[in-house]
Amino acid sequence: MLAPLRSWWRALTGQSRLAGEMASEMDSHMERYAADLMAAGVDPGEARRQARIEFGSTAAAAEECREAVGLRWPNEFSRDLRYAARVLRKSPTFTAAAVATLALCIGANTAIFSVVDAVLLRPLPYPHPERLFSVARHFQGEGSEAYQTNLWGGAWEGVRDHAAYLDAAVFSDGSMGVNSASAGRVEYLKQQRVSAGFFRVLGIAPLIGREFSADEDRPGGRAVTVIGYALWKRVFRADPAIVGQAVTLRGEPYTIVGVLPAQFQNSVPADLWTPLRPSRSGEGGGSNYAIVARLRSGATWAQANGQIEAIGTPILRQYGQDPSTQRLRLISFQRGLTVDVRQPLLILWAAVGLVLLIGCVNIAGLLLARAAGRTREMATRMALGSGRAALIRQLLAESVLLGLSGGAAGAALGWLGVKGLKALMPASLNVWQAVELDWRVLASTACASIAAGILFGLYPALVASRLEIRAALGEAGRGVAGARNPWPRRSLVTGEVALGVVLLVGAGLLIRTFAHLRGLTPGFDAHYVITAQLSLQDARYATSQRVNRLFDQSLARMRELPGVESAAVTISLPYERALNDGFRRLDGRHVDTEAQIANLFYVTPEYFRVLRIPLLRGRVFTAADSSTAAPAMVVSEAFVKMYLRDDDPLGRHLDLGGGDRREIVGVVGDIQQKSGWGDGAPTAAMPDIYIPATQVEDKFMQLVHTWFSPSWIVRTAGPPEGIVGGMQRALESVDPQLPFAGFHSMEDVRYRALAQERFQAVLLGALAGLALLLAAVGIYGLIANSVAERTRELGIRLALGATVPQAMRSVALPGVALALAGVAVGSVLAGFASQLLRHLIWGVRPGDPLTFVAVGLGLLAVAAAASFLPALRVTRLNPAETLRQE
Amino acid sequence: MGKQVDILQGTLDMLILKAVSLGPLHGYGILLRIQQVSKDALRIPQGSLYPALYRLEHRGWIAAEWGESDNKRKAKYYRLTAAGRKQFKSERQEWKRLAVAIGDVLAAEPEEV
Repeated sequence: MLAPLRSWWRALTGQSRLAGEMASEMDSHMERYAADLMAAGVDPGEARRQARIEFGSTAAAAEECREAVGLRWPNEFSRDLRYAARVLRKSPTFTAAAVATLALCIGANTAIFSVVDAVLLRPLPYPHPERLFSVARHFQGEGSEAYQTNLWGGAWEGVRDHAAYLDAAVFSDGSMGVNSASAGRVEYLKQQRVSAGFFRVLGIAPLIGREFSADEDRPGGRAVTVIGYALWKRVFRADPAIVGQAVTLRGEPYTIVGVLPAQFQNSVPADLWTPLRPSRSGEGGGSNYAIVARLRSGATWAQANGQIEAIGTPILRQYGQDPSTQRLRLISFQRGLTVDVRQPLLILWAAVGLVLLIGCVNIAGLLLARAAGRTREMATRMALGSGRAALIRQLLAESVLLGLSGGAAGAALGWLGVKGLKALMPASLNVWQAVELDWRVLASTACASIAAGILFGLYPALVASRLEIRAALGEAGRGVAGARNPWPRRSLVTGEVALGVVLLVGAGLLIRTFAHLRGLTPGFDAHYVITAQLSLQDARYATSQRVNRLFDQSLARMRELPGVESAAVTISLPYERALNDGFRRLDGRHVDTEAQIANLFYVTPEYFRVLRIPLLRGRVFTAADSSTAAPAMVVSEAFVKMYLRDDDPLGRHLDLGGGDRREIVGVVGDIQQKSGWGDGAPTAAMPDIYIPATQVEDKFMQLVHTWFSPSWIVRTAGPPEGIVGGMQRALESVDPQLPFAGFHSMEDVRYRALAQERFQAVLLGALAGLALLLAAVGIYGLIANSVAERTRELGIRLALGATVPQAMRSVALPGVALALAGVAVGSVLAGFASQLLRHLIWGVRPGDPLTFVAVGLGLLAVAAAASFLPALRVTRLNPAETLRQE
Repeated sequence: MGKQVDILQGTLDMLILKAVSLGPLHGYGILLRIQQVSKDALRIPQGSLYPALYRLEHRGWIAAEWGESDNKRKAKYYRLTAAGRKQFKSERQEWKRLAVAIGDVLAAEPEEV
């Protein structure tokens, strides 16, 4: 069975060898025959001549041989392509329009696919990535599901002790800045905390040394670290005897036990790794861990997943979750790393796919119009014996060639697009594998080009090849109204408008979302405020007293800087994710037995002044709120609305954990924050609790500083020039070993907070604009073509007394009517499609009437313009001349 | 030389299979052998021999190898494969059935029709 395939492949790949073999075989045949003839007495010249004549044409025989081994189809194909190239060269305008359309559409697809591939599709850079999994919480709601990969210490212990089919490790899904002193340099490094076995599970063997042992990964274990290749090269000059040397992190010496190989890549940007030391209390009491697991050899996903689900139920119950709506599941590690970005990326991918579809529909329309002009060519070829299949094949060769040219131009545009995307890409996409036009992307572009060529070429080819030879040849190429069925092209235009509506509505909703989020009152004044972050995960700052002394002294120096109005420290900034903390209300109308949740900030007294957060009631902190003064707190308006409704907030007492009794002394305005809990909106006014930095206990301060780096914020009177150096020097004068990690204006912080929403709105907006343009071009082409086809008829009408406006209406109105139909169909489709965006839009409903109406009217207006513009040609018609043109 | 008969379409394949079943031959040799065995009764158009050879090789019924011929020249030798042998047997049976059937038809007397 395989023999023909093998022989075909050999023939196809070795065409010149095949030709040589055939020629020499036939030549030797003739020579032998001639020799036999000579032996029979014929003279040499005559013998050779006779041999050649009796053999017949060697070229014909060779052609037959090639067909016999299955080369007929490829040969014809290359002939078709050559002919197609000639045809396309002869109509440069059409070819340019089609290639430009395709280049834009395929370019957009290439660029987006390169991101989708890097984030969602390309296998993770670890051995056997298909056997790597994440343990995730799976939420099942009505018609929607979601995954979350952050888990509690108890869940890790359950997986570690009972999931026999898995080799699992646990890690902290993020890195934090840490000050390090090593080889005489002070540096701000990114550190990630991972458990023993993390690198083994990933399948990465250290280049030098080893990873952490289980003993080192216990609370109180030896302080050790594994460093990355880049750090080893840069700071330790690739010292081969690195193991055993120390690097000082947060003022404590850590012994280096291993170096990772150069090719190691990680989803979390990190320079070095330290033991996670997972536990059930402290950090492990909250859902702060992520679990990665490798399926043991011989085990299947179904076995391991069954085990995880069984382990999950009691754990979920233990942490107050409802096992009927939630369960633990095993999902691929790649999926686990991308739970938050998967949907936005898939939607973007679908959007570029739609644009490509619209582009294809557009070109199909152009091809149909061209087919009308080629009726005679087609009819002649059929009359000369060409079959319908051959005609279709020829027409398809033209469209595939168009597709490939468009694809090549699209790849070039895509290359530019990738550069643009990289600049626009929000950090939240967490693209850690390189985004580039590699062979995967280019192969997908090539496939898309060929598929597009067949997609837009097939229907016109079928329509064009369905013709009555005699009628077509007899018609003498004269256009008469109704001579040709207009519906194929009209239905294409309707479809194009409908798809355009879907994209425009989607883009409209995302743009409205972005406008809504941007329009939310920040709650503070970002003008002239500079912030700088600093890690205080440092053995020298283990006590609250030391930390507060640093705050006081550095802030005092900063206030002395010229132009500085006020300065403060806060544990987290507006628009950033804040620390979530449980509390109980102790008195007033609501008293809690179960903990409630709010965002918790420690701040220095001037915080509210620096950000100009308005005080609504009571007071803010002063220097008098010292560590020995009565515990005080300030809450936000949203806190009062959520937890102290119908009650006087001032004088209420809360327990923030650990049995303390803290009094509310003031209420301040809300600020926008990354929510992290609640409804999951990108930014929202959250219930906030502020406490004085002086009143944070040592243990709690240490814990908070393992997750958060406090920010210094400084307000200046005018444009903050030179303030960065001043702040750095002020800090150095207090502690020369502490480097700031990077300065940002508060405006930057605000800008970055909506990076993902901006990315989505800008990209989908651009794609929708492209779709609108294509739809307009499609309608314009249709009407212009119908004016050209009906010139004679219109001339007669005008001669018989029709007015120009009447004639214009008769050609233009179909365009508007088709657009109307398209808008109607598209609105229904968009109604479904917008449901997919449900989780991405805020402040606007999926069925937002304003968006739908605006899109519908906008499209109709564009369609009307695109219809009447070509209809203007009617005004230039001269009836007498038109009729004389016979 | 007696009168030559043009061979039927499709029978050429069978004749080639038969010719090479007796031992590897090059193209011209196949031609000679068929003519010799048929006592020059069958005429094979020389140009159509090679497409038939390539078709049979493509299907895996014969295999080709380059070798040296009697006068030290390179030549392509064809031999029968196992699949070819099977194919030849079934074709020969078909042919015999067909020949018998046609013989019966031609031998029929008027009253039998």
